[in-house]
Amino acid sequence: MTAARAAGYARFACGPLAFRLRPRVVATCVGLACAIGAGALVALSSGSLPIPAAQVLAALVRAQVPAEVAQVIWDIRLPRVLLAMLAGAMLGLAGAAMQALTRNSLADPGLIGVKEGASVAVLALILAVPAAGVGLRPVAGMAGGLAVALAVAGLARDLSGVRFVLVGIGMSWLLSAALLVFITTADINDVETALVWLAGSLHAASWPLLPAPAAWGAAGAVLLLATARGADAALLGDPVATGLGVRLKALSAARLAAPVLMTAAAVSAVGSLGFVGLMAPHMARFAVGGGQSALLVASALVGAAMVLAADTVGRLLFAPLQIPAGIVMTVAGVPLFLFLLWRRRDQL
Amino acid sequence: MTVAASPAARRPRLRPLRLGRVAGMLGLVALLLALALAHLGVGARPVAPWTVVEALLAFDPDSFDHNVVVSLRLLRCLAGLAAGAALGLCGALVQSVTRNPLGEPHVLGLNAGAALAVVSALTFAPALERILPGLSGPAARPFLAALGAGAVFGLVVATARAGRGGLTPLKVTLCGVAFSAFAAALTSAQLILDDQTLAAVRLWLAGDLSGQSYAALQMALPPLLFGLTLALLLSGRLNALALGEDVARGLGVDLARTRFAALAAAALLCGAAVSLAGPIGFVGLVVPHAVRGMAGRDMRLVLPLSAVAGAALVLAADLAARTLFAPRELATGAMTALVGVPVFLLLAARSRR
Repeated sequence: MTAARAAGYARFACGPLAFRLRPRVVATCVGLACAIGAGALVALSSGSLPIPAAQVLAALVRAQVPAEVAQVIWDIRLPRVLLAMLAGAMLGLAGAAMQALTRNSLADPGLIGVKEGASVAVLALILAVPAAGVGLRPVAGMAGGLAVALAVAGLARDLSGVRFVLVGIGMSWLLSAALLVFITTADINDVETALVWLAGSLHAASWPLLPAPAAWGAAGAVLLLATARGADAALLGDPVATGLGVRLKALSAARLAAPVLMTAAAVSAVGSLGFVGLMAPHMARFAVGGGQSALLVASALVGAAMVLAADTVGRLLFAPLQIPAGIVMTVAGVPLFLFLLWRRRDQL
Repeated sequence: MTVAASPAARRPRLRPLRLGRVAGMLGLVALLLALALAHLGVGARPVAPWTVVEALLAFDPDSFDHNVVVSLRLLRCLAGLAAGAALGLCGALVQSVTRNPLGEPHVLGLNAGAALAVVSALTFAPALERILPGLSGPAARPFLAALGAGAVFGLVVATARAGRGGLTPLKVTLCGVAFSAFAAALTSAQLILDDQTLAAVRLWLAGDLSGQSYAALQMALPPLLFGLTLALLLSGRLNALALGEDVARGLGVDLARTRFAALAAAALLCGAAVSLAGPIGFVGLVVPHAVRGMAGRDMRLVLPLSAVAGAALVLAADLAARTLFAPRELATGAMTALVGVPVFLLLAARSRR
């Protein structure tokens, strides 16, 4: 108890239910959530039709607003903002879980070819079965992403080594070449629909695109949060974790499958958005420190904020032309990545 | 020890060649010739090999087949030969200087840098024309591509050198991936904002040998030949460098100058290749490994053979790209990646650290 209090935990009890939280972490997360809310408000109000914030809020609660305003908010901007936050949260969660699992702060499902695997599978679906609904895409994408993750894990034979990252990079190159073959052989109309989606853009966001990733994201988040304590114990080393009663094999399987499936589902919805899964956990660690559950929640929030910001910037910077969020994210993410590399330069 | 005393033996002598190795090298050259003949003969109108030889040696302006070979196909074949030789040589140089088996123009971001420079020159053409007329035209493309490749390459090497381990494969690869992604993002942002530039370079960006002109080939030749000469002149010093820094210094090799010259040659070669064939990847990764398996580690053999093998690989990839899904054409760069990445995966899976 005293040790817990020294680590900054406070006990909250409500009858028989009791839990410990770190107030500083809770405050940080609430602050992040507020920032995301403010960002969402900015994103909803700006665009080719500027809408004052008061009117945005009125439209959101279905109060009396001009029909045009209600339509822009509800049919165009709200699904886009929600999808951006959802995809960002999923990618952030996936990155945090993957970095803990591989004990490698550069690991990210996006870096090891999961994005490309999902893209190949979704593209195959789009091209082979054009009649298939949007709802099927996450299923195909998750199958592809999982297959790639298993192949990389099998080739590298060991999740924590440097080999894992190198093999993953090679695998993503191989699949991008396969994508290139697809693009150069397929019918030009198919290629155009596919390219829009591949660029990592949110401009196709609509309400039907939301439920599937949301369901998978929620399932993955529950799985990750439920295994967070086991993951904390696993970081102490395999013998200690086994002694503490952690079933390591089951834990690794769950914590590899969840981030891979979440990344693939996010990619299936919005295309390849790089660097979120890599950067969000690092920024979250900076904000809340260690501890899996806190880190997961904070990573999800940071990821949501990053994608929302990237999409809004890409949408407004060169308006009326739109820069896909994936490009904005890469331009902003690479310097941060290099900074991380620089800090770890003696260990690589 | 007695040998070391005589002045003539101060430079290491070429070791006597084993018969199998000589046969392998001759086979490589024969393979290149056969591929070139097939490349010229295969297409919508098949031309028999002897007719191809006839067209090259005794051109008959009235023969339709001869015209197909010489005026339509020869240019593409020559561009593939030049680009492939440059890429193979570039890969051998980079792997030798960084002492890193995963070193490769594509991995190190040279391709992305070259593409960024060329696309930026087209986007900012009006401003560039005011500074130096002709800088945005096709004639300046090899120069710009080499400049961009060199700049990104320099950044990658400088960043990856930081820290205790020096240029470890992981650091080189991660820095290359990061800078490539950065350059590629800037390139695609420009292409999204500017339709005209996209239309001008779309084919070229996919890594493609079609749509060549003799003017482009002529423009690419000076940097290519200069890089080639520089590389061959450096081969002895690169041999010394392979023995380790202390030994090389003891043999009187200026390390910094040798490295700089070799990297400059690599950037020139890569720039020439990219200006001809677009950003074709992974040739430089595969070729030096295959050549070392055949000819050993002597750079005086590895460098010229890498050029031959690189040319053969690009011609084979282009042949496959043209024929596999005929009448549709795949991008040549996609074919070389499909060959090259499994090799990268094999090397990565075998690496210890």
